[in-house]
Amino acid sequence: MTSHAGLMVVFAFFVSVVFGTLMRDEPREQFRFGARLFAAFVVGGIALGWLLYPLPL
Amino acid sequence: MRATTADREQSAIYTYLICLAAWAIPGAGHLLLGRVQKGVTFLVTLTLMFAFGLWLQGRLFPIELSQPLVALAALADLGIGIPFFIARAMGAGAGRVVALTYEYGNAFLIVAGLMNMLVVLDAFDIAQGRK
Repeated sequence: MTSHAGLMVVFAFFVSVVFGTLMRDEPREQFRFGARLFAAFVVGGIALGWLLYPLPL
Repeated sequence: MRATTADREQSAIYTYLICLAAWAIPGAGHLLLGRVQKGVTFLVTLTLMFAFGLWLQGRLFPIELSQPLVALAALADLGIGIPFFIARAMGAGAGRVVALTYEYGNAFLIVAGLMNMLVVLDAFDIAQGRK
């Protein structure tokens, strides 16, 4: 739970819920937008992690 | 003409009261404006995120003008409203620099405060009739 990846997922969840609720009015749209945001956060975070893996060279 | 001016003043006071409530208790602005689903979501999510930051041993920064970055972090922390003062009163948020999760805790506390500021702006827009 307190691993870097675990905390990133929890952080992404909280931020996605708030932004999904803030940016859309209909509950269905809120869920869809929040889920897309959550996926983007997690996939983006993992991709960035792998990109930075060889650093420092 | 006088009535119109008085109405405007009353409307402005109402808007600022909504914003004050929205800042003090996350989601309260939306609840007062009748947006119950949004208000409850903000109340639960932002409060949980703030509590999570405290659990991760993050620090509630003091306002130190001699250290601008600390002062900015303190302003962001204050964005969450009353939970900030409750945590302070309970002795939470001292922050343990050597804890593994210290920086993560800070990120949770700061972002919870900043997102509540966005929620206040949203409540302001709704109260003004823009949404």
